[in-house]
Amino acid sequence: MLEPIMYVGGVYKHNHLVELVEDLGGYILQKNVMQTEVVLLMLVPINDIAIVEAKAKELLGKLTRAPLTGSEIATVAPTLAYHHLPHLDCDVAEFLRKQGAKTNMVGLARGVGKRICQLTAYERDLINEHDVAVFILGNYEHCIIEKSKRLYEGIEIPVVVTGAPELRTEDVPNATAYVGNFGRILHHMRHSEELRTLDKLAEVIGKVLDDVRKEIAKDPPSIAPPRIKKEIEEQVQEIIDSLHPLPITLQLNGARVKLPYEEFHEMLENIRFVEGVTMKEVAQVLPSKMRNFILIKPRPKSETGFVI
Amino acid sequence: MEQLETFIVESPDAVGAKTTRSLIMDTIADLSLSRVIGRLRVFVDPVEPVFIFAALLRLGTPSIKLKDFAKVDMGSLGKDEIKIEIDKEAFTVKLLNKLWARYGKENIEQPDKKVLIVKTDPIKELDAMRELVIEEPQQEVLDRLIDAIALRIIPEGFRVRKHELSMSHVLFVASEDTLKPEWLAKGKDMLESLRREENA
Repeated sequence: MLEPIMYVGGVYKHNHLVELVEDLGGYILQKNVMQTEVVLLMLVPINDIAIVEAKAKELLGKLTRAPLTGSEIATVAPTLAYHHLPHLDCDVAEFLRKQGAKTNMVGLARGVGKRICQLTAYERDLINEHDVAVFILGNYEHCIIEKSKRLYEGIEIPVVVTGAPELRTEDVPNATAYVGNFGRILHHMRHSEELRTLDKLAEVIGKVLDDVRKEIAKDPPSIAPPRIKKEIEEQVQEIIDSLHPLPITLQLNGARVKLPYEEFHEMLENIRFVEGVTMKEVAQVLPSKMRNFILIKPRPKSETGFVI
Repeated sequence: MEQLETFIVESPDAVGAKTTRSLIMDTIADLSLSRVIGRLRVFVDPVEPVFIFAALLRLGTPSIKLKDFAKVDMGSLGKDEIKIEIDKEAFTVKLLNKLWARYGKENIEQPDKKVLIVKTDPIKELDAMRELVIEEPQQEVLDRLIDAIALRIIPEGFRVRKHELSMSHVLFVASEDTLKPEWLAKGKDMLESLRREENA
């Protein structure tokens, strides 16, 4: 199992750490160099963390666990009106992005009201393509509870709900977790108290994602999603020219490739690994609901009988 | 007069009332309406569900006409023209835009910073020009107020709405279901209580 870890340290000799992680069979997902500082988001095999820690100590850098790394999160607002945007929704999305997740904002067509809210089939399928959905709801306890009874119908991924009142998760129907102290806020969240609330949200989502990881580890995928990313980057030239943010977006159990499905799905299916298998043997290459992108879902070990 | 002398948000849901209060404050600040609203009362009951917004307004200056800041007279003898001598330059840009739209750019000259010559028939146009409305601060404020209440403050799901709007007050009653007469009556009561406070 791979652990998501963030390294913050000096640029000097940071490539030693990069090479160590790659040699150990881990992956570097993102590298941001800011003047003399470097931030690395990486996945490290859980058994080798001690070696990486020792190296980080030698380089005087800091290692922290970043459970949001390598996940794709949908932040869902009831609509795209001024009631929810740009504050709060964007704040949440941006904060989670800083923690290493890729966030997509979804504005529902008919998500308003406690009695009249609904989710269209397309919205449901789109949200289901993510790892976690964060529903950003409003101020009133009664509305949050009533709305939760019907709004998340058909959503199979964990649902994290935010709102103003302090409720227990058990009180919010169909929710995996609930985070209070949010509500409908029409200003930029920058006070220390508000930032603590955002920290709490990141922590809760981290826990939810850890549970998902544990669940996946019970029947591991035949191929790790970061490996898919690495192979596509090495073998498909067109991905380099893609101008989309994160052309290959990692998910906990899959990857979204931002290339047109019709043109590229055969090429991706026929990618050959050094182990001698092709992509279509270890993963399904599916059309994504998001534009005409490609969604790759690894087949579980129980289906193929091997892990590469 | 102080700004926002009364600002009450009532609700059976205390946390909801607190956040609603902060969101109203944010909206009023965003749209710079704090000097416009004198007294404000809001009632929310999410169980019913109903949202009532009542406020007394202080709209300030009425619309500004050309004669308020300029001298409008016949031009030189024997020519079809009107001469405008401006006292307050602050409105010149808006005035020029209005004149250009009405008489065409080629018919307007500005020989001096504060003098405008409009080539048109003075006998027909002189009176109309004196009454020309250059700025409507009240209307602009009301537009912003409606933006604040209807598009930002009232919860989005509350699609059934009844409103009353005048130069002195605004009342919004909104719900997800059909409006009940008692809610409308409550709205009127809230407005009355604000008026009593104002006159006391």
